[in-house]
Amino acid sequence: MSELFFQQVVNWITLGSIYALIAVGFSLLFGVLNIIHFSHGDVSLLAPFFALSVISALGSVLGDAGSFPVFLLGLVVAIAVTGCVGVLLDLVVIQRFRKAPAMMALVATVALGIVLRELIRHLFPNGSNPHAFPRLVDGDIVLAGFPVPLFSLAVVAVSTLSVGALFFMLNNTRLGLHIKAVSQDRDAARLMAISPGRIFRATFFVASAIGAVGGLFFSSYAGMARFDFSIDVGLIGFSAAVVGGLGSMPGAIIGSLMIAGLDTLVQAVVPNGASYRLVFVFLLVICVLVFRPSGLLGRTLVEKV
Amino acid sequence: MAVSSSAPLVLEGENLTMRLGGLVAMAEVAFTLKRGEILGIIGPNGAGKSTLLNIITGIYIPSSGEVRLEGQRLNGVPAHKIVARGIARTFQSSRLFADLSVLDNVVIGRHTHTKAGVFDAIFRRRRAKAELEAAAAHAEDLLKSVSRGLHAQRHRPAGELAQADRRRLEIARALATDPKVLLLDEPSSGMDDSDTDALMDDIRAVCAQRPDLALMIIEHDMRLVASLPHRVMVLDYGQKLADGPYEEIRKIPRVQEAYLGRKATQHAGA
Amino acid sequence: MAHPSTQPSGNALSAAFIVIAVPLIGAAFLRQFLLAEDWRLVLGLLALFAVVLVVLERLPALETRIETAFARQSRLALLVGIVVVLGFPFALGGNTYALHLCVISMLYAVLALALNFQLGSANIPNFATGASYGIGAYASALLALNFGVSFWLALPAAAVVATIFGFLLGIPSMRTRDSYLALVTIAFGVVVHQLLNNLDFTGGPNGLVGIPVPELFGHAFSDPLVVFGHALPPQANFYYLSALLVFISIVFAERLHDSRVGLAWNALRADELAARCQGINVTWYKVLAFAVDAFLAGFAGTIYAFYVGFISPDNFTFLVSVTIMTMVIAGGMDNILGVIVGAFLLTLLPEKLRAFSDYRILFFGVTVILFLMIRPQGLFPQRLRRYGD
Repeated sequence: MSELFFQQVVNWITLGSIYALIAVGFSLLFGVLNIIHFSHGDVSLLAPFFALSVISALGSVLGDAGSFPVFLLGLVVAIAVTGCVGVLLDLVVIQRFRKAPAMMALVATVALGIVLRELIRHLFPNGSNPHAFPRLVDGDIVLAGFPVPLFSLAVVAVSTLSVGALFFMLNNTRLGLHIKAVSQDRDAARLMAISPGRIFRATFFVASAIGAVGGLFFSSYAGMARFDFSIDVGLIGFSAAVVGGLGSMPGAIIGSLMIAGLDTLVQAVVPNGASYRLVFVFLLVICVLVFRPSGLLGRTLVEKV
Repeated sequence: MAVSSSAPLVLEGENLTMRLGGLVAMAEVAFTLKRGEILGIIGPNGAGKSTLLNIITGIYIPSSGEVRLEGQRLNGVPAHKIVARGIARTFQSSRLFADLSVLDNVVIGRHTHTKAGVFDAIFRRRRAKAELEAAAAHAEDLLKSVSRGLHAQRHRPAGELAQADRRRLEIARALATDPKVLLLDEPSSGMDDSDTDALMDDIRAVCAQRPDLALMIIEHDMRLVASLPHRVMVLDYGQKLADGPYEEIRKIPRVQEAYLGRKATQHAGA
Repeated sequence: MAHPSTQPSGNALSAAFIVIAVPLIGAAFLRQFLLAEDWRLVLGLLALFAVVLVVLERLPALETRIETAFARQSRLALLVGIVVVLGFPFALGGNTYALHLCVISMLYAVLALALNFQLGSANIPNFATGASYGIGAYASALLALNFGVSFWLALPAAAVVATIFGFLLGIPSMRTRDSYLALVTIAFGVVVHQLLNNLDFTGGPNGLVGIPVPELFGHAFSDPLVVFGHALPPQANFYYLSALLVFISIVFAERLHDSRVGLAWNALRADELAARCQGINVTWYKVLAFAVDAFLAGFAGTIYAFYVGFISPDNFTFLVSVTIMTMVIAGGMDNILGVIVGAFLLTLLPEKLRAFSDYRILFFGVTVILFLMIRPQGLFPQRLRRYGD
């Protein structure tokens, strides 16, 4: 095993973990709400900008923007705020489309994503330009004779923990059971005295917060935050959820790993592959959809007549 | 109005089995339907009544078994072509084209009897228009014959109709396809007794005008089941429990137990 | 709503008056809007437009009257329309920028009409109209630059190429629906953009330059158009060409809407399963909607390429598709007039209100959301069909 190959594998898993953090949110929201929240990627990638704002604000107060505790605090606040933004979007916009045709919610959330992106561009100081975003952790650790960036390890560890916590929450807590109940039958859940509205808000918070972790990692991975990152990342996260099967959490993870794998492979093998990466990713999406319309692990929908 | 025993078979199903995942929604059901016959289908919720309709109309593909229309196998024929061959249906929860006019709903029912495509619509407009207007005229006549009240409302959006009129419109839309077999999925659901009576009269009138039309009706309303169909088939857990005239099947203890229940037993005894 | 045939007859004269007056008022309004320099005047005109819309909605009798007049005097209406469109450039007093805005608005009107077949008639979310537009533009430009094909041949050829891609894009719609299909169309748009951006023969990010100017009977479209001794700026050539395309698109849209095909699209919009059970081959009609959309978008793309003379991938991004979608939703889905008004309004507004032209994309996004939330039927709601009138 050559070092180059090993590096590519590490790269693949790192990227796959980041995509999975975003894809899981798409899948969760679809499972519960039965609509596509197309702007989920844009919400997730608000987090780096929140983090930068918090860090610079704290920095100007404490006079020490570069310190690790400040950085960490910035991240935590960003995750919480992003979660709240998700809830807010549901309350203000998405909620209105619960009973509307699927197409309307879809178009509305696509527009919502554009609005979020443009708001960053206009409201964040110098929003059109890339902003440097620090690496979470620097340095390498030697594993099986090869150097592995600590950053990658951190990404994989945090992603596994977050997604693991999400699984645990869904399967073992009261809230999780309620979320599952609402996703299976909204009206029956209401009869069991579960308020779907509360569950929707909780779901939006959880999905957006996990997405925020993904967004922060992505910016950290790329070394910068850009207002238009969310176009690619949002589409890739959504594609991963679709490839895996919307509504299926393990599907979202498998889809993310597949897409990240293809992404890494294309960049390594195809000349000038970086500029074609989305072409290959979307060809994969189209192929999967043509042969398995509900994704790899998606429930085959039998229409109720 | 009895069906002569020599009337030819229009529709028959053989050995129909439907598995959905691990669940068996229908197991080896066979049925026959003669020209001009009205077959009632009863059974508790989840007995497979709607599944049967969905198999016949090509929405579901049976795991095994076959459906034949006048001797021709329908397996693998897509839903829209089955309509063209002469099987029309209504839906349990009426599925009208709500934002189109009542008349347009019926005109769409003429789809299989019209031909104009994109090319005709744009370059042979006169021909396409004449064809569509003939379809509209046909639709108007049909609406008139099904229900005067519905005809009077022909320029309203279908979504604004009252429940009973929605059912009528669905029947009119299905009839517009000139079917040999008409499948009605719980036509009286959500109706009160007087609406149901009116509906039964309308169905009788439809049948009187079309002596060759064969009907399959899924129903819960025992008054309708007792009086309208020539024959009743009972489904339970995806299997056929009984098949015969209402007077006979209501006497079978298993049928009473499985479906009719105490209330219907009393009704039958009255 | 009263049935037209029950209206008192003998009002032919007043009908003729309406048919002549309404287009003239509309044209006068558009002229003022195009020539308005002051943003206060622009806002005032917008307010006036809003008032007219509200009045029409509050007085359905007036609306019906206007509609009936146009239906009865359709020949006169056509004649008045042609005269107004032909004469309009003369009313702009040689203002080339206003004429340019007219051309762009009309191209967007064609694109919006194209998308309307899917989004409006059949409720298929297609985020790839911008890509079809780009395919048309690139196909015609490449034909002209590499093979010396004339504009007049490139025009239909590019439309055919775009239609083929439209069919290809429609193929996944056989198996997928709603969100999945939307993703496929977005993916298609992104793939087309990335390919145009990276392939050598499309010129990469620089695009294609030096697309030759069309000629007709020895008259180059870059020369001023002289009519009865009155010289119109060169943009007028393309003005008339786009007007012709808009006219053709309207004819297409109307004929399809009032046909069995339009009905089938409407049926699958309302309820796909019920449509199948009326004998409609849903898959075929979906693919057809994609093809018709791409066909018209291909035409618009060709005219754009030859009008501007250079094209680059950034002219045909996902945002262009969203812009077109905004026009259809704001104008009124499945309403031809509404879609055209939407295209003009949303093309002209950011240009006229310079102060916020930087916020144009934000404005489009907010417009879509607000319309979907508050008035999903758009400015001009769809109408029920009539037969035999």
